[in-house]
Amino acid sequence: MSIIGDILTTTRDESPDESGSSVTYLIRKANISHGRLAKILDTLVQQGLLEQTSSERACKYKISERGREFLQAYRGFREFADSFGLRI
Amino acid sequence: MVVVSEPVILEIALNLLGLVVGLALGIFSYIGFKNTGSPTLFRLNISFFSIGIGFGVVGFGFIVEYFVLGYGGISGWIQTLGIGIQTVGYFFIAFSHGIKSFFPKSRYFKSIILPLFIIPGNSLEHIIRSISFILLVYGTIETIMSYMESRKRSTIFVAAGLGLLALGEFLGWYSVIFPKSVLYLVSLSTKIAGLGALFVPISQVPLRGGVRPGGSL
Repeated sequence: MSIIGDILTTTRDESPDESGSSVTYLIRKANISHGRLAKILDTLVQQGLLEQTSSERACKYKISERGREFLQAYRGFREFADSFGLRI
Repeated sequence: MVVVSEPVILEIALNLLGLVVGLALGIFSYIGFKNTGSPTLFRLNISFFSIGIGFGVVGFGFIVEYFVLGYGGISGWIQTLGIGIQTVGYFFIAFSHGIKSFFPKSRYFKSIILPLFIIPGNSLEHIIRSISFILLVYGTIETIMSYMESRKRSTIFVAAGLGLLALGEFLGWYSVIFPKSVLYLVSLSTKIAGLGALFVPISQVPLRGGVRPGGSL
C-alpha cells in the first residue's frame, strides 16, 4: 500500500515534465524492481488511478483525477493508522 | 413496578455510550477501508464494531432484564457475551500489531500474568476479561513504542486510550472481589474515557474525497 502511495505521490508532485514520469524515474523514486513496478503500474492504470501517456521512446505515467482523490484519502487515513502505531 | 437504582441507570447509559463511541470509530474505520482498501483499516473496523457491539449487548441486556423482564440483576451469560464480543475487538487491535505469541516466554512474566488466568477459576467471564487485559496491555506497549519512533501527538492519545481500556478491564475483573463497590462503574467509566481518547486521531482526517480502487492492490 505504501508503494502505491509513493508512486502516486511521485507522479503528482515530482514529475520531471508535464507528460508524466517515466518507468525509469519511478523505479528510482519507489526503489523497487522493474518487474514489480510494471505489475503495479498496470494495476493502477486499470483502476483508473494513473493515466498512461505515450512519448517518443517510452510510456509515461500521469496521475488521474481519481488517483488524486485516492491519494488524498490515503494520506488522511495513513495518519489515522499511524496514530495507532499501525501501517496502512 | 421495578425500582431502578441510579447506578443501574448509569451502567446502562455508560454501556450505550460505549456502543455509540465504538460504532462511530468502526464507521470511521470502514470509511477508511472503503476509500483505500487497506487491510489494516478493515481490521480496525472489525475491532471497533466488536467493541461497540459488546458494550451494546451489555447495555441492552440491562434494559431488557430490568425494564422488560423485571429481574433484579443482569444475567451472567449476557455480561459474558458482551465482554467476549469486546475481547474479539481487542484481539484485532493486538493482531494488527502483529502479535507473535500469546504467552510471554520469560518465567518472571509468567509468574505475573498466569495468576490472571488461574485466580478466576472456572468463570468464563473472568477468563475473557484477563485475555482482554493482556491484549490491551500489548496494544498499549506497541503503540507507546510507535510513539517513541514517530513522536506524533495523536499516537500518545491512542496509547492512553488503550491503556485506559486495559485499566477498565482490570478494574472490571477486580470488581468480582468487591461486588457491592463502585469498582464496576469506575471500570465502565474508565473504558468509555479510553474509547473517547481513541477519537483524537479522527479529528486529523479529512473525510471529503477519496475513492477505493476495485480489485486487489
